[in-house]
Amino acid sequence: MAAIRIENLCKTYRTGWNRDETAAVRMLNLEVREGEIFGFLGPNGAGKTSTIHLLLNLIRPTSGTAYLFDRPVTETEIHHRLGYLPETVNLHDYYRGRRLLDFYAALCGVPANSRPARVTELLKLLQLEDAAEKTVSKYSKGMAQRIGFAQAMLHDPDLLILDEPTASLDPVGRKEFRDILLELKRRGKTVFISSHILSEVETVCDRVAILQKGELKRAGTLQELSADKSTKLIVKGLPALVLEALATTVAEITLLQGQATIRCPSEALRQTVEELLRQHRVEIMRKETETQSLEEIFFSTINPETKS
Amino acid sequence: MKIISLIAADSIRALLHQRLLLGLMLVSLALTIFFSIALAEIRKDITREYSDDRMAAHSATNQMNQTDLRKFRERMDTASSTTQAFFYGVASFGGSIVSLFIFSTAVASEIRRGTIRLTLSKPVSRTQFLLGKYLGGMVVMAGYALITSVTIFIFAQFQNVELNPAIKWAPWLMFCMQLMMGSLAMLLSLFMHPLIASVLAYFAGNGFYSLHNPLYYILPSYKDFNVFLKVLEGSLINSKDVIFLSLYAADFVVIMLLLALWRFRTKELV
Repeated sequence: MAAIRIENLCKTYRTGWNRDETAAVRMLNLEVREGEIFGFLGPNGAGKTSTIHLLLNLIRPTSGTAYLFDRPVTETEIHHRLGYLPETVNLHDYYRGRRLLDFYAALCGVPANSRPARVTELLKLLQLEDAAEKTVSKYSKGMAQRIGFAQAMLHDPDLLILDEPTASLDPVGRKEFRDILLELKRRGKTVFISSHILSEVETVCDRVAILQKGELKRAGTLQELSADKSTKLIVKGLPALVLEALATTVAEITLLQGQATIRCPSEALRQTVEELLRQHRVEIMRKETETQSLEEIFFSTINPETKS
Repeated sequence: MKIISLIAADSIRALLHQRLLLGLMLVSLALTIFFSIALAEIRKDITREYSDDRMAAHSATNQMNQTDLRKFRERMDTASSTTQAFFYGVASFGGSIVSLFIFSTAVASEIRRGTIRLTLSKPVSRTQFLLGKYLGGMVVMAGYALITSVTIFIFAQFQNVELNPAIKWAPWLMFCMQLMMGSLAMLLSLFMHPLIASVLAYFAGNGFYSLHNPLYYILPSYKDFNVFLKVLEGSLINSKDVIFLSLYAADFVVIMLLLALWRFRTKELV
């Protein structure tokens, strides 16, 4: 079962006196599998937040449909399995931190007798214990972001939709956030992250989708998206005979301190080289697959002219 | 129902945070003091007038004749009723303003601040949200009606005056009228700016429709809820009138809420 399934989704806004049409999302098709961390990327105005709002049923699609766990997003019941952290965390700021989480937990249907323990657990996890009795209006941006993350996790949802989750966090906070995400993944939860911080997405996401001007440009794992798929084979003690044989191929060979690194720019060449090494009983110490960084993939997608 | 109660409780908390109820109580207290002083002054004037002109003439016998006594009491009662009518007139107007503010901003302010996104990301339907917001406003207005009732009771006790029969129904009718006005303001606020919605909701119910006109049951008419006019006109309100007006208000509120729900279910909330 897919955690998120989007089919031919379109969203057009009508603005101004002339009711001019602006397409925010165009024919979007996307599937997020259960248990994966999925990065949703795109420049400003790409339609990421609009897509999230469509998934949360805050806005209505112009056409197309979206499903969460195979149920239409219009069903409120499905929100029992959903946690959401918005880009700008606007909280009911007249509550104290603990009371706010208790209120949201009650809305999520967390039983009254287990609420205090759950709230305390999350306050501890997100380093907010000292601020628990403080009014939320006095929270810093980072603290608001943390309590926003806490409210999204209150009912231990199966799917977390996070819109720019680390925008207001310091490096320590980001590291803690990454650890929490990886723990959630380990527990089989699905996380859908929209973020501008590519290095972060690269570290935690299993798959990514890149959106531009409302259109899905690319989606897949980093390896699938990478244009550069060369492989490095590292071997020790390369005999001269083999070296000569390898020289006839287009593989690049670097020798350093008795260790040879053979770079194969294509899959076919890698197979040829491996076969050659096997024939001469040369053991491959390790293989390294080279892929483009997410940043390179991102820029080459949104602007194919860009040389990374 | 639990979710609706939670949303309602949250609304009340938000209003208390704005120190709205405290403000209402202060206004109510100020009104009591103002009208107590006003009534005391009017009574003093009437007594003085009678003392100067006629009562002195009867001082020898130490008694007023029956006609003078009746006139004196009538004047005192009229003064008392008028003051009570004004008291409720002011309290009702203040309540209407508060009601319009509460109901027209109930949903609009949540959309503007973005807090609605978090609430509706929970298993909360739009219907539950809207009804919760309305219930929260209703509880606050009930509190206002209660404060006003207590105030008029204290006022009557303090001044040793008998309450006008129409005044006894005033808090309830005032409450019904404010709920009607609020439901209309809430509906209109889903289409336009809360301020414009409030102004329209206030001026919409001028009672142009008679009981025989079907539109009377759909469009608002606040006139019959205005105790101020009834006291001044000297008309009495019996329990049958009150039941009819209550049913009318309930009918109106239900229609407005159904329309609001219809609009809110398709409204874009960003």
